[in-house]
Amino acid sequence: MIEKSVLLACVPERAFTLFTERASDWWPAPLRHTGDERSEIRMLAGGRFWERATDGREVELGRVTAWEPPARLILDFYPGTDEQHPTEVIVSFADEGPGTRVSVEHRPKTESAELWADGAPRFARSWDLVLDALGEAAT
Amino acid sequence: MHALDALGNPVRRDILRTLRTSPLAVGELAARFPVSRPAISRHLRVLEDAGLVEHRAQGASSVYAVRVQGFASVRDFLDEFWETALSRLEELAKE
Repeated sequence: MIEKSVLLACVPERAFTLFTERASDWWPAPLRHTGDERSEIRMLAGGRFWERATDGREVELGRVTAWEPPARLILDFYPGTDEQHPTEVIVSFADEGPGTRVSVEHRPKTESAELWADGAPRFARSWDLVLDALGEAAT
Repeated sequence: MHALDALGNPVRRDILRTLRTSPLAVGELAARFPVSRPAISRHLRVLEDAGLVEHRAQGASSVYAVRVQGFASVRDFLDEFWETALSRLEELAKE
């Protein structure tokens, strides 16, 4: 499991909004699926989690599986693998002093357990996506 | 060389995509690419150093195959992703 956290200088409500509505502003540009640095990325209460390039191309980045503002958000996450092998991201927003602690737990699901560990028999199907993403990350 | 750096080249990514289907000798691989055979060999060396391919001798030539363990980098990739993402989020919250 990957665990990361950051202390934001704002209240949990704003932190939740920054994370979900303004993902376009913090999502690492070289890792955008559409290859468009100015793409729009949104997570929606209704379940969609998508990216839309300025030319209109859209790609599903995952699914919102729990939407609990301003405390918690759970995502099925496709970047790095693919739709058939989602990983899971749990984001929590907690009061800490005058700010908000945003904690990310990123872990494999049953479908992606083999991808996460070494030697993945089913990895082949995810190769194109992984190679593209890794290649872009390196440039 | 780190796997990420090795992958930061379009020819090397194409080589990996080709080898994914089946292992190939250097000559067979070179025949499928519009670059010289020495260039292909250089790319293969980089990929091998990064742990992404491996080779075995077959007669006079070397047959290259993908090394799946080299791609455990999915995890590292996501780790870096969040590192960058959260520091940007931190800046954003200060605005």
